[in-house]
Amino acid sequence: MSSSELASTTAAAPAAAAAVKHPRSRLKFKDTWWRHAVGVVAMCAALFPVVYIVSSSFNSNSSLQSAQVIPSHVTLHNFGSLLHNNVKGNTGAKQDAPYPHWFLNSMLISLLTALATTVLGALAAYAFSRFRFKGRRGGMMGLLLIQMFPQFVAVAAIYLIVLNVGEVFPQIGLDKLAAVVIVYLGGAMGVQAWLIKGFFDTIPTELDESARVDGATAAQIFWGVVMPLAAPVLAVVALISFVFTLNEFVIASTILQTTSHKTLPVGMQLFISNSYDKVWGPFAAGALLAALPVAALFMFLQRWIVSGLTAGSVKG
Amino acid sequence: MADVAFNDVDKIYDNGVQAVFGLTLDIHDAEFLVLVGPSGCGKTTALRMVAGLEEISGGTVSIGGRVVNDVSPKERDIAMVFQNYALYPHLSVGENIAFGLRLRKEPKEMINERVAWAAKLLDLAPYLNRKPKELSGGQRQRVAMGRAIVRKPQVFLMDEPLSNLDAKLRVQMRADIAHLQRELQTTTVYVTHDQVEAMTMGDRVAVMANGVLQQVDAPQRLYDRPANLFVAGFIGTPPMNLLEATATVNGEVSVNLGGNVLPIAPEAIQQYPRLREYGGRPVIVGLRAGDLHPAQGRDDLPQIHATVEIVESLGGESMAYFRVDARYIKSEAAEEEAVLASEGTPETVVGSRPNLVASFPPHVHLRLRDKVPIAVDTKNLHFFDEASGAPLR
Repeated sequence: MSSSELASTTAAAPAAAAAVKHPRSRLKFKDTWWRHAVGVVAMCAALFPVVYIVSSSFNSNSSLQSAQVIPSHVTLHNFGSLLHNNVKGNTGAKQDAPYPHWFLNSMLISLLTALATTVLGALAAYAFSRFRFKGRRGGMMGLLLIQMFPQFVAVAAIYLIVLNVGEVFPQIGLDKLAAVVIVYLGGAMGVQAWLIKGFFDTIPTELDESARVDGATAAQIFWGVVMPLAAPVLAVVALISFVFTLNEFVIASTILQTTSHKTLPVGMQLFISNSYDKVWGPFAAGALLAALPVAALFMFLQRWIVSGLTAGSVKG
Repeated sequence: MADVAFNDVDKIYDNGVQAVFGLTLDIHDAEFLVLVGPSGCGKTTALRMVAGLEEISGGTVSIGGRVVNDVSPKERDIAMVFQNYALYPHLSVGENIAFGLRLRKEPKEMINERVAWAAKLLDLAPYLNRKPKELSGGQRQRVAMGRAIVRKPQVFLMDEPLSNLDAKLRVQMRADIAHLQRELQTTTVYVTHDQVEAMTMGDRVAVMANGVLQQVDAPQRLYDRPANLFVAGFIGTPPMNLLEATATVNGEVSVNLGGNVLPIAPEAIQQYPRLREYGGRPVIVGLRAGDLHPAQGRDDLPQIHATVEIVESLGGESMAYFRVDARYIKSEAAEEEAVLASEGTPETVVGSRPNLVASFPPHVHLRLRDKVPIAVDTKNLHFFDEASGAPLR
């Protein structure tokens, strides 16, 4: 911007301040190109795996080397073989890959875990936010500290616990989906409870008190007043724990052993675990299908997520 | 309908702070009682103890003759209006009003009927399907009222319900609430820090300071016969001027107020006979702004001389602020100065600020910094002991 331009702009500014609607549009490209460059690079980095997975899932060739970004033969073969448990390795040998089972297992575990984590986290958060009791501070710090140890550090211990519990209660023993859900719930509480507590703290206590005077019980206040108002943060917590559970590998692979009981990550890992016989095509197709429910959930919860993330983070 | 009684009630919080000291107060059936005092005086705590939202540390609270110390809020049959209204944001106006009735599982027709009744009474009928955030402040306030009246409780508890409204609306709602209460004849305890609200709304007003009840009386009696220095300084707009003076008794009684000798009218002596015992001793003189007049044309009244500091014209009258050469007690109405009263009686201070305010007719010409004569109607003066703050009655 030349000095004369600057002068005229400055002079006109007081009168025309209201008329200038888009001061940003005045920025010159040479001043801002680097922002675009950073954006484009970041976008490429983010999109590359997506493009790759999409393209190889439609590719008839299941080797990595010969795959092209735009497949020469677009085919649904990979999806078909997944859905009909007809995945063949490069040598032609059929693999036992009950993909629909894995998919259902994953959905069941993730949905249950997400739901239960949200409810349990909200219950804990409500107590921490509204009640004053001995050990309140200690309890909250404890939750946070325990959370600092990654869950898979305890994987051997978890394995032993599940093994032994299974002797008494076979329904939550090894190789059972319920066991995985319970282990996830044990680990998922901390951060979620903190996040929800931060949001609960922003809901005025007068609402609780008003409901109490109106005649509501603690349970009625929790379900009827506090929970509906906390919808944004509950949506976020549910989504985070759904995605985390869907991706979780170590614990699921330790507890679930029968092929048809496996979850998506554990099962699909079989496709690429064989050193000389990796089937990337069905793997990519499977990953693409697994992403659909997550995307759907994101879309469904979208309107709550933004306010939930900020509200929780600022006060948490 | 029920009476509410505090009997020697204490409130000590978990952190050891005592908010209410030995409060004994009877609120009659169908009465509108206003609890007033500066922030932190314990008035809201007292109200919350009636609501059951605070535990009672000592003494008893009874509603309708029943001691309710250990009764849960929902079984006390009370309704409360909160300062920030506490409307449920996710429910419509109608659902907000019906909330308490629904919790009590009242029949649907009865709920609808009651909600319609409340909405009509409060001019809310067109808004029943709106969410609280789509309403103006005054409308929200009325929804909060609606939620309270719809259950027809024995007692209304209101915690500064008007303090979030703008000044104009507050004046209107003040009248509306007082009118509604008279119509419904429901015992009401109303907490406010605004003494104008207290004076205009209450059948009786209870003045609290530092957790201690100072005086309970009809508004006019509070104004005319304050029980101590605190009440004198708190009630009335502008607050009463409280100045230190020395009494002289030799047949006639007079006070020396910063070098001005004021003979006291016999009517005032009749009200405050103990002033005679204070010959040669300092007393606190209370002068209402309305008892001070421009000296011109009031030769019948004794005069004092004071320096003009500020003149505020309000159109119908002028507030003139003067300085006289006397120690004074800061107004308790100014909230942030309430701390002053925290240890026993307020102390007199010497300051450079104006210490005498008079309400003059408009168009009185006063030049700043001039020393002018002011006529004092000594019939209505008040006298207090300097050390104890007690009136010299």
